[in-house]
Amino acid sequence: MIKLIEKIEGEAKLNFNFKDAKIDFVDIEFMSTRNIENILKGKSAFDALVINPRVCGICGHAHLIATVQALENCYDNLELSNKAKIIRELTLNFELIQNHFKWYYLTMLPLFGQKQQVLKATYPSQLMGKAIALFGGQYPHTSYAIVGGVVCEITEMDIIKLQHYIAQTIKFVEDNLVKIDSENFLTCKDADTLLDYEGDLPDILRQIKKEKLLKYGKSYDRFISFGENSYFKKGKSLQTKVSHNISIEHVKESEIPSSFAKNVSFKDKYYEVGPLARAMVNKTPLIADAHKKYGDSIFSRILARVCEISQLLEHSKKLIKDLDLSEPSYIEPSLDISQLSASGYSAVEAARGTLIHKVEIEDGMIKNYEIITPTQWNLSGGTKDKQGVSQKAMIGLSDIKTAELVFKSFDVCSVCTTH
Amino acid sequence: MKDNSLFNKLSSRLDELSNLPKLDDEVSISKLIEEKGFSRREFMGWAGAMTSMLMLPASFTPLVAKAAEMADRLPLVWLHMAECTGCSESLLRSATPSIDSLIFDYISLEYHETIMAAAGWQAEQNLEHAIEKYKGRYILMVEGGIPHGQSDYFLTLGAHARTGEEIAVNASEHAAAIFAIGTCSSFGGVQAAAPNPTNATALSNVISKPVINVPGCPPSESNIVGTLLHFILYGTLPALDVYNRPKWAYGLRIHDACERRGRFDAGEFVQQFGDDGAKNGYCLYKVGCKGPYTFNNCSKQKFNQGTSWPVQAGHGCMGCSEPDFWDAMGIVHEPLGNRLYHTAFGGMGSDATADKIGRGILTVTAIGIAAHALISVIKKPKD
Ligand code: SF4
Ligand code: SF4
Repeated sequence: MIKLIEKIEGEAKLNFNFKDAKIDFVDIEFMSTRNIENILKGKSAFDALVINPRVCGICGHAHLIATVQALENCYDNLELSNKAKIIRELTLNFELIQNHFKWYYLTMLPLFGQKQQVLKATYPSQLMGKAIALFGGQYPHTSYAIVGGVVCEITEMDIIKLQHYIAQTIKFVEDNLVKIDSENFLTCKDADTLLDYEGDLPDILRQIKKEKLLKYGKSYDRFISFGENSYFKKGKSLQTKVSHNISIEHVKESEIPSSFAKNVSFKDKYYEVGPLARAMVNKTPLIADAHKKYGDSIFSRILARVCEISQLLEHSKKLIKDLDLSEPSYIEPSLDISQLSASGYSAVEAARGTLIHKVEIEDGMIKNYEIITPTQWNLSGGTKDKQGVSQKAMIGLSDIKTAELVFKSFDVCSVCTTH
Repeated sequence: MKDNSLFNKLSSRLDELSNLPKLDDEVSISKLIEEKGFSRREFMGWAGAMTSMLMLPASFTPLVAKAAEMADRLPLVWLHMAECTGCSESLLRSATPSIDSLIFDYISLEYHETIMAAAGWQAEQNLEHAIEKYKGRYILMVEGGIPHGQSDYFLTLGAHARTGEEIAVNASEHAAAIFAIGTCSSFGGVQAAAPNPTNATALSNVISKPVINVPGCPPSESNIVGTLLHFILYGTLPALDVYNRPKWAYGLRIHDACERRGRFDAGEFVQQFGDDGAKNGYCLYKVGCKGPYTFNNCSKQKFNQGTSWPVQAGHGCMGCSEPDFWDAMGIVHEPLGNRLYHTAFGGMGSDATADKIGRGILTVTAIGIAAHALISVIKKPKD
């Protein structure tokens, strides 16, 4: 018997097919589109720096960084100061961090029967928003990164403020999320010891264990991550076997007739992207341990995302130490964009996973622009024989509530998926 | 000096509001704020800041505080259309530290998809329920542009797959006041940029009732909150400019209140990002600042709790609160004045708007800008 139940997620529609009281197939459909790629065509290349952050107000900064890197990739020998690189990486880190807080307190908690904690979501994300605004002037939607560097000329004063925002955020984590010293949390290698700690994260992890949800949400155990920087590595992981030799050439987008979103695959296979994928490729001990014990389940997925908050905060502190304010923020490209006809691409790790931009320029004008967003990877809607990552993760569950939890553990976002 | 007649008018408006039923009898906004850890003093400090933003004398602070406490008499319906959610994101990080978001969160409980846990059927029922229950009393805030006419299927929402246009028209019918939040909903925004593939348009083009535009991409949190408080206080629509923007927020050009204005007047320009001028905070006109053509209060209110704003960070204003800024403002890092000054805004130039708010002062600068920037130093030709 097949039962059809509809459920909306933002602007995505899930059609659940039941067979013998278990979910047999889930059809995912996106119902809106803004067609940004068409708007970019024919515009001057630098305008993409202003338009693209507006693809998504939730991870707009990743779109800015992806845009600037794709444009820079069009140049043969573009120079970039270390300072500009570090600043861009910092602001992107902050965007990831604030996203994870909001996801945890606004989206995840209610799924475990708890109340949304609006203030716990806004307080640390406000701090991170301020940290981005120090460099970018505002958040969301800054366009402070430009081809050749960044526009901001920060001072020692700004650095002090920045360090203060980071320290306050770390304190928030230690007072709420996981009530131990951040350093201990980061060096912890055993996922089970976390269950003995106090805090909002251990609470949920314990609940997962108590309610016997540990085995839920498993998918292909195939992970991929293309965005490389001083923290994240590029690579794929198949049942813990990691290889770093992957190329964007093998990433393919294909249309789905029923939906405005497009499917994304690598060498014809669907891969999971996001914090769990990054941790698998990076071989983060704590997450590797969780994966060894509980596979690619919601337990590992939730832990990986929250854990990334502390990792990135810590890494950002290091990056700040490497900042040399006397370096130039901007180095003028040797060729004016109006004389450039070339194509380029970029891959950036956004909050939800790998974001890819591809651009073709002719005499400084955009001829073609392609955007592949993280949620497209995770939510690719396949057929019954070849299911997408999140589809597969929901198969066999017997109720929609758990399916919703599994689905949302991917931190889905329909905004940029239907750009 | 205290304007007694205005003070009395606003007080009696608030008294009237206090007779309306609350969202929840058990909860009061002042208690809610207290429970979340804000002292009365902090709350009054916040109200003071709001008062000055709304251009009221400081003696009106108690009234503004009371208005905030009355917010639960006028529930809020917030609709998401074709957009990036940047506007509601801006609000989530709203000011000092979170009194605004608390109030918004509380009064828009009925239907705010981003914050709300309910989804699907539940959410849609909440919306219908809210509209029915608070008929004629709720405030409607719409974020995002609306795919229009033949193209309306580009945005379908909810379990019944109703088009965005239908939902907006429906919700506007019984709203006490309607606000278009952000440039998308005010003027069409990014998705309406040429060639406007989804035929997205402004809220005011699909409904027949008056719409107050609160543009900006995103608008600052304070302009969103200020708009709400203004309506609670006055009960009428605020004074508007030609583009239906509240004058208290959009009455001045960015250029008029810019901290780099002195540099502009002195002819000190950043010629290129990263040069000495950039390090010394020179005027950004020549690297594309559209501040002289843009009406908004960014330099005063700033973003992210007053942390900064684009010009402070060293990037020119891009004119995001002006109609069609995507297409009318030209290339992002190029000055508009060198080429196209009078063709901005469909040939009207910003004089059209300047006209409404006092031609005298503004046109003098307006004429001067392009010439002034040209004379001082010729922009370095790139090879
Ligand atoms: S106005 Fe700007 S920030 Fe607001 S929804 Fe539109 S694109 Fe996003
Ligand atoms: S042109 Fe821009 S940076 Fe210069 S004074 Fe005017 S608003 Fe400020």
